[in-house]
Amino acid sequence: MADLISNLALGFGVAFTPVNLLFCLIGALVGTLVGVLPGIGTVATVAMLLPITFGLPPVGALIMLAGIYYGAQYGGSTTSILVNIPGEATSVVTTLDGFQMAQQGRAGPALAIAAIGSFVAGCVATVLIAVLGGPLTKLAQAFGPAEYFSLMVLGLVFAVVLAKGSVLKAIAMIVLGLLLSMVGSDVETGAARMSFGVPDLADGFGFAIVAMGVFGFAEIIRNLDPGTDVNRSLVQRPVTGLMPTRKDLVDAAPAIGRGTALGAILGILPGGGAVIASFAAYTLEKKIARVPSRFGRGAIEGVAAPESANNAAAQTSFIPLLTLGIPPNAVMALMVGAMTIHGIVPGPMVLQNQPELVWGMIASMWIGNVMLLIINLPLVGIWVRLLRVPYRLLFPAIVVLCAIGIYSINNSPVDVVLAGGFGLLGYWLIKQDFEPAPMLLGLVLGPLMEENLRRALMIARGDATVFVTRPLSASLLAVALLLLILAILPSLRRKRDEVFVEPKD
Amino acid sequence: MGVEPSEASGRSLWPRWVRGPQEFAGGLTLMAIALLALWAARDLSSMRGFSPGAGTVPRLTAGVLLALGAVVTALGVFVKGPRSARSAWRGPLFVGLAILAFAVSIQPLGLPLAAFLSFMIAALATKETRWGQTTLAGLCLAGVCSLLFPFVLRLPLPLLPRFLMP
Repeated sequence: MADLISNLALGFGVAFTPVNLLFCLIGALVGTLVGVLPGIGTVATVAMLLPITFGLPPVGALIMLAGIYYGAQYGGSTTSILVNIPGEATSVVTTLDGFQMAQQGRAGPALAIAAIGSFVAGCVATVLIAVLGGPLTKLAQAFGPAEYFSLMVLGLVFAVVLAKGSVLKAIAMIVLGLLLSMVGSDVETGAARMSFGVPDLADGFGFAIVAMGVFGFAEIIRNLDPGTDVNRSLVQRPVTGLMPTRKDLVDAAPAIGRGTALGAILGILPGGGAVIASFAAYTLEKKIARVPSRFGRGAIEGVAAPESANNAAAQTSFIPLLTLGIPPNAVMALMVGAMTIHGIVPGPMVLQNQPELVWGMIASMWIGNVMLLIINLPLVGIWVRLLRVPYRLLFPAIVVLCAIGIYSINNSPVDVVLAGGFGLLGYWLIKQDFEPAPMLLGLVLGPLMEENLRRALMIARGDATVFVTRPLSASLLAVALLLLILAILPSLRRKRDEVFVEPKD
Repeated sequence: MGVEPSEASGRSLWPRWVRGPQEFAGGLTLMAIALLALWAARDLSSMRGFSPGAGTVPRLTAGVLLALGAVVTALGVFVKGPRSARSAWRGPLFVGLAILAFAVSIQPLGLPLAAFLSFMIAALATKETRWGQTTLAGLCLAGVCSLLFPFVLRLPLPLLPRFLMP
């Protein structure tokens, strides 16, 4: 406990320096901006801004990138409520009740509850990271290569279970991601693998390039398809009466609590993250509500729960990254990239060797949440005005900004072409109803998995049973197998699909 | 989000015995990628004693992907499934060209020209573009980028075309 307090004190000491406060503010603002604008997601933005952080001090860079991530969760909710356009995938369910509330003239309370819910979730998640950080790091030190491999298998299985749509397609996408990760030089021998003699491929596909392709370019192309026109009818009514009533607060409080808890758990699990958390929280609220029919007609719980959940999940997803060095989702994988650029290898050693970095970032999350609470509500008008920029002007600008972002990572035109190629491939696969998210997770975990697999086999002198004879590794694999079986069982699949169905009235 | 696949009209790309065009097309794509990977990994070393060589894991993975692709394709033949959602050729073509144009022109032409060129090509991707407005926006974007990236963020991006460089 004393440790916890001294750690947090160290963190706040770092985060409260003027420079870091500024980075935190910039991150939160940029994140909100991205969250507000539909058609450009968090992954693409973080990938785009990665080069910008090259020149910053490491702490400042990470504080800013973290700010973008949770700021986007905030911004997404604003547009969901006011204009019925989810700025982010994480806020899709918020539109259901949030927009209804806005139409009933209760936009103010809806925005306030979303902000308060996010803030509460952010506070809880910050403490949770601080509490779990130490013990998990100790656990990580007991991990050998076999355990790491099995843990990542478990993570990929989680990604399959939590992906929407066909289990088979999700598995196929993960394997595709793993395969893509193997392009480039071999970890042990240094031999160039599957690089087709192209020197730019000798280092493999940069993660940022693939992410920008399938989440940036592919998304833009998809938005241009006929029938996907973004409806931009705004709520013209001015937002008045920001404060929720006492009844609103009493109604929303338990929903915020449940949303936070659910989001915090799903955030830690690899492959989960903020999107699934918001869907799950909404479904849970609807299931346990006394009058489920209120949902979709402006129930305040329907705003409070998913908004708390996505924020909690966005923050707790830092836990596996900081303690085990395993990025649980695409944004965290980009954070690995940002850390690597600054010579930091994420994992248990970071917490020991550079405590000011980790705790500074954790403390900045709390500060960032306060900032968002203060800046967001008065700025609502500006964000809404931004939405009036027509998509026909917005999307070419996003294309250009993405291209500049990729180019400046390595000053390589080939990278830009590759990202474009992945954009087209991603678009084609999305059209065939394949989800890109599991592929990205496979790409992220691929090198770590292969390295640990080969190291484990080498230590065990080629004995593949090592994964099931070491108790910790065996139990991780057993859980993975069990989950996979459950995911294929028809009854559970139906339940899982239910979570993703947007209720219509 | 997303279009209801059922509203896709027009003739399917595939012969009639393909009942699930999405699965069929997706599965074939995966198989093609897997075969390409197997071909590319053909020269890599395999197991040496206890230790897997450089090619072991990639070949294994590509094999699994090939099998998964085959299962998905087979599902597309035997199980009735949705058609692919309708897509327009404009979006992929012009966004792709815009990206390509940027890649080709950034080094010889410099950032402002490359950004403007790429912006204008991307704008062709939708029929809604109004050219006056778009040109103005493109000029503004090129200007802002030229100030933001090289000066504020100090990224080493060329500003002038190469032939104008001293």
